[in-house]
Amino acid sequence: MTATDTGERRRGSDARPLITDLIDEATVESIAQEAWVALVGEDEILVPLPGDAPVDPVSSWVDVVGPWTGSIVLTTGRRTAEELSRALLREASPEVLEEEDVVDAFGEIANVVGGNVKAALPGPSGLSLPEVGEAPAVRNPGDLCRIDVLWRGEPVSISVQGALPPLPTAP
Amino acid sequence: MRALVIDDSRAMRRIVSGILEGLGYETQQAGHGREGLDVLDGGWLPELVCVDWNMPVMDGLQFVSAVRSNPAWRSMTIMMVTSESEQTQIVKALAAGAHEYVIKPFTADAIRDKLALLGLLPQEASL
Amino acid sequence: MTLTTTSFDWVRQLVHRESAIVLQPGKEYLVEARLLPIARQAGVPDVSQFVEKVRTRPDPDSTRRIVEALTTNETSWFRDGDPFTALTSTVLPALLADRGPNERLHIWSAACSSGQEAYTIAMLLEDALPNAASRVSITATDISREMVERTRAGRFSQLEVNRGLPAPMLVRHFTRAGSEWEVAPALRRMVTASECNLAAPFPRMGPFDVVYLRNVLIYFDLPTKQAILRRVRDVMRPDGWLFLGAAETTLGVDDSWERVVVGRSSAYRPLKGK
Repeated sequence: MTATDTGERRRGSDARPLITDLIDEATVESIAQEAWVALVGEDEILVPLPGDAPVDPVSSWVDVVGPWTGSIVLTTGRRTAEELSRALLREASPEVLEEEDVVDAFGEIANVVGGNVKAALPGPSGLSLPEVGEAPAVRNPGDLCRIDVLWRGEPVSISVQGALPPLPTAP
Repeated sequence: MRALVIDDSRAMRRIVSGILEGLGYETQQAGHGREGLDVLDGGWLPELVCVDWNMPVMDGLQFVSAVRSNPAWRSMTIMMVTSESEQTQIVKALAAGAHEYVIKPFTADAIRDKLALLGLLPQEASL
Repeated sequence: MTLTTTSFDWVRQLVHRESAIVLQPGKEYLVEARLLPIARQAGVPDVSQFVEKVRTRPDPDSTRRIVEALTTNETSWFRDGDPFTALTSTVLPALLADRGPNERLHIWSAACSSGQEAYTIAMLLEDALPNAASRVSITATDISREMVERTRAGRFSQLEVNRGLPAPMLVRHFTRAGSEWEVAPALRRMVTASECNLAAPFPRMGPFDVVYLRNVLIYFDLPTKQAILRRVRDVMRPDGWLFLGAAETTLGVDDSWERVVVGRSSAYRPLKGK
């Protein structure tokens, strides 16, 4: 819907599907809302509003390989990622949160959101194990479906982004 | 009753184990399918196994096949608990011998409802 | 405006009375989050105003929506499986023996909410009868237009299909549609959804062989319960079967029904000559 209809995009959809042809922001948002309610807490709501970019961003993602190939990437500030991890662990949350606790819990949220995004795409596709760190670069701005939301007032972005660069424009 | 919870995410293992313990289960945890088989080989035999799909070393589908190939473990009920939710994948897991399938994200009620369907709610929790 | 103590206490007492579920103090936020969509549907912008409205002018439909939103038990598939097991083990064989081979069976799911009960019945019959689509028609009604439309759409969220729907039935009778699951067209064709206010004279419908009227009578006063049961009887075949919620009964309400034990469940059948 927000993708610009360039010649590049038209040619792209002939050769291989772009994410904007396969899923829309509303679907990604409803998947994320359900994941938050079930994993983070039943009164945890994502507000569909963009916030300022986090100063200390950290991302978690899973890769999908199939008819469409790319990544589902969650990005937020480090403090927020820690808070999310604590919320996920609830009473099992340790006094001091280790880096590996955050990698584990924040990665699992990417796995849950990513698995459901994958199921909404044409299959069959493979799903990678989650990774946490600096987000993979957006290779093709035309092959991107991104939502920006606020959780407890903090910005969280979820982007479903293709792994392949745009096809070269014909001369 | 006993339940083995296999998931590569420690957070998810704690969540699922917490729900099952709340229902009256005694639980053990494993980080992937191979570790899960080691628990079973060690003689700790549960009524229920909750197993994730995508894991390192040995994934959930391989684990289900391995359990189903051992006649001594036939009475074990296997429930996949995973974000892998393509329809064809659910069919594949059921065909390999999983009894039930819970798609992540789930609520505690979802686990409880599935166990009720399977007749695996410990007596004190079924009221 | 945030929920007042009076409103919250009233909701707590209501939910406890109807479902035995205890809402601890501090759960005001949860009550607000869960009730906001219902308040908006009722045309009230704010949960506190909505609760005040229902508290001072009780209305069974809003009361039921409040309890359902806060307990969520009523909207799961086979969770309370006994009345469904009874359908395939006892009721269906009896009906098939009594009816002609081409006679259609009519089933009513009253107060159907978003349609889980109607589709649960449809799935069971599709699995039990080779020609279910031409043999059975299921009428699903609800007082709320939004619920009727949801039933018609036959689309359920991931969290909804996780609640008490066996996985083999999910993959057999649903297909994935974006982030949701959609009921198979064959089942949707068996189900006709329409609006019906149980507390008012019914539209023309029936006669039904089986009626599911579960977890709804509890919200009405005695004279209304009696009137509803009388009208239900009028749209049922004389040898029909009525299923009520596990905590509901016709005993002491309307003596023109006979209670019969069916498996682990109870059904009610019209008494002859009453």
